[in-house]
Amino acid sequence: MTGFAENSQGPRRDLPDRMLWRRSLTTDAAEDEVARFLDLAGYAEDRLDPDERERVAALLALDIDAASDVAAARLLAGMAANAAGEPVIARACALVGLAGEGRRVVAFRPATRARRIASLHGAARWGSLAAALALASWLGFAMGSDASVALRGPDQASPDQAGDDNFLTEILDPSTGFLRELTDGQRT
Amino acid sequence: MPGDAHLDLLFEGDKGAWDGFVRRYAGLIVAAVRGLAASPSDTDDLTQEVFLRLCKDDFRLLRTYDATRAGLTTWLTIVARSTARDSLRRRRAETVPIDAVPEVHLAIDPIEPVAKLKLPEALLSPRQREILTMLYDREMEVAEVAAALGIDPQTVRSAHHKAMLKLRAHFKAEVG
Repeated sequence: MTGFAENSQGPRRDLPDRMLWRRSLTTDAAEDEVARFLDLAGYAEDRLDPDERERVAALLALDIDAASDVAAARLLAGMAANAAGEPVIARACALVGLAGEGRRVVAFRPATRARRIASLHGAARWGSLAAALALASWLGFAMGSDASVALRGPDQASPDQAGDDNFLTEILDPSTGFLRELTDGQRT
Repeated sequence: MPGDAHLDLLFEGDKGAWDGFVRRYAGLIVAAVRGLAASPSDTDDLTQEVFLRLCKDDFRLLRTYDATRAGLTTWLTIVARSTARDSLRRRRAETVPIDAVPEVHLAIDPIEPVAKLKLPEALLSPRQREILTMLYDREMEVAEVAAALGIDPQTVRSAHHKAMLKLRAHFKAEVG
């Protein structure tokens, strides 16, 4: 059915066709990527009929990316592509497993520059934190030891035995020694 | 899907056929995505993404290739560039924090985004749309349309017929 019927007054438009047209005017076109790929490829090779060619040309006028894809397809169709590098080929071949293993897609995480930079930043951040903690510990220990020795005075530091005991005491409970020195032996 | 023998073997799970396909078309895909990539390592990653997409879900995309409508080389170039562009958009969205973007780049793009198409624009040629508009919206007769467009009345009927077939097929597919 063409949608028209000739009668004495001329062509009569079929009501369902009119309704279909009206309905189409209120319907958004869903993205059909598969059809789009074939349309663009057919257009690039001039294989479309005039109506289709006109339709795709109108779409290309609105879509710069699609137009550039068509131009690239025409350009590459006319030239022999250079061979890809062996690592690229090996990676792509590995995407599909051997027949005995069943069909298996091995997805590689692409090593993007951003990801590499992000992991480098993470390592640097944790490394800095660890170094800062180690430095602060060492510095605190050294300052505490120096302060203790300075406050104890030279006369009390001579005997070996006493020195060992004091060292242990300072390690285990530095505030006790510190207070004793401040009060000069008096009990509080 | 009409295709060549190599693809049929590939769809049957022949590992050798896949390897042969990769060797045959890797150079083309590299060339297709090179213009979009920022660096050689990006080109390699994008090439990998294209192959991944082609074989994903049991070669779902590759099975839609129709040899009666276009050559495989042309179709692969279109698919490769579209896949690469989508991938780059996703990466950009994933990896650039807004604080890292200079304010000048946050300005609204002067080019308006493409509005979502209505069905007639996506399915019908401008001539077909024009003819249907004249017939159904302006209530013109076939002879009047033919005279206005300077074409034969039979051409008007033919264009109307083809346009209606497309619309019917679309809505039938939508319902089915």
